[in-house]
Amino acid sequence: MNVFFQSLLSGILVGGVYALIGIGLTIIFGVMRVINFAHGDLLMLGMYVTWGLFTLFNIDPYLSLLITAPVLFLWGALLQKVFINRVLNALPQNQILLTIGLGLVMSNGVMLGFTSDYRILTTSYSSSSFQLLGISVSQPLLYSFLVTAAITGALFWFLQTTDTGQAIRATAQDRDAAQLMGINVKRMSVLAFGLGTALAGIAGALLAPTYYIFPQVGSPFTLKAFVVVVLGGMGSIVGATLGGVLIGVTESLSAVYIASGLKELVVYVLFLLILLFRPAGLLGKSRT
Amino acid sequence: MRLASRLLSTVAAAALALPGLAGAAPVKIGFINTITGAEAPIGETMTNGLELALEDLKKQGVDVKVIRQDDTGKPDKAISAIEQLATGDEVTAIVGPYTSACANAVAKQAEQYGVSQVIPAASKEEITRQGYKWVFRVNAPANVYAKALIDAALAFGKPKTVAFIYESTDFGSSLSKVGKEYAVAKGLTVVADEAYQKGSPDYRSTLSKVKGQNPDLVFMVSYVADAILLMRQSRELGLKPQAFLGGGAGFDTAQFEGERDISTNVFSVTQWTPDSSKASMEFAARYQAKFGKRPTYHAACTYTAMMVVGAAVKKGGADRAKVREALATDTSQTIMGEVKFEAYDGYNNQNQNAMPVIQYQAGKSVTVFPAKVATAKAVYPFPGWK
Amino acid sequence: MRSLLPTLRLPRGFSTPALLAYLAVIALVALVPQVSRKPLILHMWIMVFLAIAQGSAWNVVGGYAGQYSVGHAAYFGMGAYITMVLLEIYQVAPWYGIAVAVVGSVVLSVIIGSITFRLRGPYFVLASISMAEIIRLAALHFKDVTRGAEGILLNAIPPLETPWFVVKFLGKVPFFYVSLALAVIIISVNWLVQHSKLGYTFQAIREDQDAAHSLGINPTLHKNLALMISAAFTASAGGVFALYVRFIDPNIVFGIDVSVQMVLICIIGGIGTILGPVVGSVVLVLLSETLRNPKWLVQAGLLSDESATVAFIEAHLSNAHVLFYGVLVVVVVLFAPEGFLGLLRKGLARMRKRTAARSAPPSQPAAAAE
Repeated sequence: MNVFFQSLLSGILVGGVYALIGIGLTIIFGVMRVINFAHGDLLMLGMYVTWGLFTLFNIDPYLSLLITAPVLFLWGALLQKVFINRVLNALPQNQILLTIGLGLVMSNGVMLGFTSDYRILTTSYSSSSFQLLGISVSQPLLYSFLVTAAITGALFWFLQTTDTGQAIRATAQDRDAAQLMGINVKRMSVLAFGLGTALAGIAGALLAPTYYIFPQVGSPFTLKAFVVVVLGGMGSIVGATLGGVLIGVTESLSAVYIASGLKELVVYVLFLLILLFRPAGLLGKSRT
Repeated sequence: MRLASRLLSTVAAAALALPGLAGAAPVKIGFINTITGAEAPIGETMTNGLELALEDLKKQGVDVKVIRQDDTGKPDKAISAIEQLATGDEVTAIVGPYTSACANAVAKQAEQYGVSQVIPAASKEEITRQGYKWVFRVNAPANVYAKALIDAALAFGKPKTVAFIYESTDFGSSLSKVGKEYAVAKGLTVVADEAYQKGSPDYRSTLSKVKGQNPDLVFMVSYVADAILLMRQSRELGLKPQAFLGGGAGFDTAQFEGERDISTNVFSVTQWTPDSSKASMEFAARYQAKFGKRPTYHAACTYTAMMVVGAAVKKGGADRAKVREALATDTSQTIMGEVKFEAYDGYNNQNQNAMPVIQYQAGKSVTVFPAKVATAKAVYPFPGWK
Repeated sequence: MRSLLPTLRLPRGFSTPALLAYLAVIALVALVPQVSRKPLILHMWIMVFLAIAQGSAWNVVGGYAGQYSVGHAAYFGMGAYITMVLLEIYQVAPWYGIAVAVVGSVVLSVIIGSITFRLRGPYFVLASISMAEIIRLAALHFKDVTRGAEGILLNAIPPLETPWFVVKFLGKVPFFYVSLALAVIIISVNWLVQHSKLGYTFQAIREDQDAAHSLGINPTLHKNLALMISAAFTASAGGVFALYVRFIDPNIVFGIDVSVQMVLICIIGGIGTILGPVVGSVVLVLLSETLRNPKWLVQAGLLSDESATVAFIEAHLSNAHVLFYGVLVVVVVLFAPEGFLGLLRKGLARMRKRTAARSAPPSQPAAAAE
């Protein structure tokens, strides 16, 4: 029974970080209808920024979020302005390809700059835990979960109540209508891609103290983010949050009760089942 | 002017008559390595090892020119690399590649072209079991890793059960396969057999399942950084067996050694240790001075492979057949001890490298097994987490 | 006489000069090993042929039917695994093995198609990726069948004995011809698809699935047919690849980069065209090899050994070959969305216009300005 609760808990906590990656992707998809295959590479950039700040200036990874997030926001906005905006009306396959190309450029550019060495970021709490009723609660994972929760809340507030947030949501709902209403759609796209990139970067920063960092670290997270987003319903932030936690828990429990080597497979099967029987995702409304 | 050039050419002709002396064209040696791709961090240590070997060969007056090829870790690229080296550059011998898949693809071609290939660190057993004449391997194959570790644990204490956690790669999976068979043969019970996919940030559920089985030994095999991840999460969960056995690779890196919180008292097995001989210590010190980090066994194996090839070239010059002959018959004294390519147990041209077991004590790796090479006493059982 | 003619009538879009040119190119390429047997050069030809085979096979479903599968590694790997398992474990000769592999992959494509074709657009893309990943993970896990991550190592390929000749699979030459034949067959299949009724239905679905449906085309059936054709040839390419490389493991043949590579070949060359995958394969294989090992140009006799270009690439670019690949993709998408072939066509059209303008009499400046 202890094993069950232990796995459930770490599944939920890791799911929080998955959710953050997924929310970034879902905002980008919602506004642009572009599947971003470079999402994991953006997360990788977040990790490198965090690692750089930690090794050069000894800034704690959680504190460095204040720098990482804006830096990544600007980077994402730049990518959108220079590259993605040019293909918004192109064929979807060319959009996918563009993001694949950008991802390759980012990961290999980092490799040339920083070599492909694995970087480990060791903080005082990297392998510490709290004990709670015989269950160990990973300290770094708990902090990451709390940060994720706070950021998700803030983001939700921003999108629901501020003018800019509402404009972003309007663009996501119907690009043409939003344009007719006088919303600057191109600007909203830049904002959305920046926001999505910043969230990927934050997720990278949150993973940094427990994980390791190397130029190709992103690709498994890209795939995971797709699953999270589709599970929740493309474009739905609450959906992505739920999807992230659901995947975290599924992985965790199937590692225990099925086989460690099959936990990703179980997630993909779940993903396909949901696609087939609830194509709009758990909380999505439309499937276009 | 004309006199000078005639004089020069006479000198050059005289030099040519004496193989291996300065003045003759350098003997071309191919080096196939993973410079880009997922295994690039290990490839880099291998390049470093080779650099040191080249310095030493120069001192010995062996004039070689190394031609490098990147296989990106993919066998089809490795084939293209050997075609270039064997038929384009017409090298005399080849060192590499790193991964088993690439080493094997190259071995087939090396055999066909009749060019010696010396494999520094690929672990797949089959590579030297195909009866190839031209393929030599310096490092011990996968089965030796597992046996050394389990023998060590049985020598230190009386474990009854063992759990296996390993990465789903060729290395992880073949090492654990041999490990499981050997453990069962030695009377141990395998209570967990968990393969994992790398690229996941969370192995806590797998580890807590293992913890639930309460094994005496936890045998882990993983590449570079997952070793740190697994041990960090073991510490979080308070997994406490009699011993953590790390199957080389990620458990035998400078980074792992540096993570004292989690590496202390963990055992690992290795192809080579810096404290194994005076020459090894010198090698380690030079490596540290030049590259700013501790050499891994991959570096030492590549260094050794290149030195062995150098010795063969000294004897046979640029002649492929003579170099092969020298490799097959000679014994070299190296930092990895005596290197001799032999036929035994179905292997051919395989160096019987004994693998020492190390333990991390106070932030340093010390050799603890087998007894005759041990430099420190093993801490067993695992005293618990700090 | 006349009554016989209709059965002999050539299909639409057929032109004798084009066929003759095609046959002449094949004949010329087939002569390559007679002229030069440099193994590296033959190896590169083989890599190009296999890339053409994969790209063209993908093109049937991705280019003509417009179904953007990013999971074709499933069929490639299935072809490789069935061939190798049959050969290594059951000693079935590879020519039968590849036939079984083709059947197996077609069956697999029916299963995958029946699941993924219920979805459209980005959902279809993601579903195809996850199907391939499921198979890769299963191949890693179920070791009894696949030997898991340890992979399958090929010992020897039995010689092919026919009443007329015996082929020993040693060296590059047999693989040169086998892969050339495979590429030629698949290019021809693309031609048939582009010019047959079946192919027209594929293209109708690509242009507008709902409109095609209202015209009485069953989209699901035809998408599945396109996928089956595509899977069959992708699998045969996988089988030949496995025999040539002699070692496979799940990550080598089922990896997502295998799927992405097929898509890239088509898009860089020109998607939904016969020559697109050919051009794309030549560009991609030559580019990646030039950056990785510029000395092949010396072997091919294009550059001298002392060439500054070779030295420059070796010194500065060889570690960056994947980076260049990425840059190429970005540049193609932004500036040549129809691929190299589209670029070529545009260039030709412009040239034609210019020559037309030049040859036009000066009294008609309006036409020249067009």
